[in-house]
Amino acid sequence: MTTASAISVQGLTKDFRVGLRGLKLRAVDNLTLEIPRGQVFGLLGPNGCGKSTTLKIVLGLVPATTGTISILGSPSATAAARQRTGFLPEAPYFHKFLTGRELVEYCARLSGVPADKVTAAVEASLELAAMTEAANRPIGTYSKGMLQRIGLAQAIVHDPELVILDEPTAGVDPVGSAAIGRMIHAMRAKGKTIVLCSHLLGQVEQVCDRVAIMDRGRLVLEGRVDEVLAQRDRHVITVEALSPAARAAAEAALAAHGATVTSITHPRRSLEDLFRELVTGSRDA
Amino acid sequence: MPDMNARLTRSSWIARITFLEAIRQRFFAFLLVLSAAMVVSSVSFRFMDFGHSELKFVADFAFGGMFLFGSVLALVMTAQLFFAEIDNRTALTLLAKPLSRTEFLLGKFLGTWAVLGVFVFSLAFLQGVILWSRTQELIVLAAESGRVAPDFSVSGLAAFAVLQWFRLGVVAAMVLMVSAVARTFLFAVIVGAMAIVAGQLQWLAQEALLKPSDANALTKGLLWLSSRVIPNLQQFNIGDTLVLDPTAISGDAVWSVVLSGFFYLVAFLALASLAFRRREI
Repeated sequence: MTTASAISVQGLTKDFRVGLRGLKLRAVDNLTLEIPRGQVFGLLGPNGCGKSTTLKIVLGLVPATTGTISILGSPSATAAARQRTGFLPEAPYFHKFLTGRELVEYCARLSGVPADKVTAAVEASLELAAMTEAANRPIGTYSKGMLQRIGLAQAIVHDPELVILDEPTAGVDPVGSAAIGRMIHAMRAKGKTIVLCSHLLGQVEQVCDRVAIMDRGRLVLEGRVDEVLAQRDRHVITVEALSPAARAAAEAALAAHGATVTSITHPRRSLEDLFRELVTGSRDA
Repeated sequence: MPDMNARLTRSSWIARITFLEAIRQRFFAFLLVLSAAMVVSSVSFRFMDFGHSELKFVADFAFGGMFLFGSVLALVMTAQLFFAEIDNRTALTLLAKPLSRTEFLLGKFLGTWAVLGVFVFSLAFLQGVILWSRTQELIVLAAESGRVAPDFSVSGLAAFAVLQWFRLGVVAAMVLMVSAVARTFLFAVIVGAMAIVAGQLQWLAQEALLKPSDANALTKGLLWLSSRVIPNLQQFNIGDTLVLDPTAISGDAVWSVVLSGFFYLVAFLALASLAFRRREI
């Protein structure tokens, strides 16, 4: 464990007993992982790869079979560690009869926010989650995107140093998803550490500093996004107004230096970018 | 004691939300209305008094409703409020906060017990009104016929309501303990119902122990264990005596029943907390 780590996982293994015969199902297999402070960390992997189980163990919701975990230097599964942690579960569900503001206040009280600071903390988190206008509506009337945003507000109401987001954009349209992406950037700008678990690889690529990929309970890759995605043996040159003659000359020049042009295509923007451009200004509220 | 204050604050917030959730349930409203109807209608059924005094029949009829529907409410609502948090995964959000599992369980219990308090004290108030109203009529009739006028004790009724509240608290704590171990709502309700029946019949084990018998050591051991582990829920059912003949029961006896209820309540909550500690959420 290093003091610079927001989360330190050492040799974590989790076995579940299934069936009447108690057969062992290994969900996490000897995972060792350091998540540095002040960064956005993406935890990726296919369904059933063990990422949600890992997050639950980190938060003390599920006991580990073996291994040690610490959060910001404190042993995980202690109230002290969770005091500095905020969590948005996958597909969050909250009491429908509460209003958004009541829910966030409830969570502020449970998180130990002093009574005289609750109102300010609630308003600040609602504002960051862009939920101030809808805060007095019952949660039962919220859309999926609003549920995710109010979930984010309850996760950050006590100003935690570490925020864990499990599929924060699941079921949210691209505009809402982009809004959540902006919130993540805003939290990083405040020096928070964010752990993001998502299947939306495009978004992970945009917002994360580092990523780890898990498969069948094991860590298969970990590193900075730029480093793991870069293809060091290939290069991209983007040019405008490329005439056939200029193209032929460029190819000849590259060939003269021993380089091979493998493809020349037009750059594409992502469908998500196009969608967001076309529906700018609309919200899912 | 800042840490203890923080713990109690967190539990009280869980209790507050649990109470709000429970009080909104149709099931609660349905049982409250049904029980209230039984209390009100008790006067109409007084011709079935089987030779007992009229007020005793009216009181017993209403106590029966409170006992039966209160037990059903404590059983189903406690399990439902617990499993709603687990199955809807709101527990994930709550237990990821600096909230211990004991605080969570205590909050669930206190919220449920508060709703049971609303149930018991509302019905006791209603029963007080019915008894008072019928007593006034009987006083007039007694004066006309020269008989002794019947009466009932308001403080006895209040004491009975407190005892019933404790009895339902013991049932709720017992169901919470079962729920902390159970995987499904149905299992918790079935086992909880069996525990209530065992509690109602516990006095049989006590009586069997007191009687000289040639039972083997194993049977005697089981009887002894049953009489110690299972709470005697029958001891709370002294409503008619408290209300109609309060001098027959000493204050110490009432207090000992309350303390016994409190002991079981704390013991079941402690066991529930132990069982819930390592549960996977």
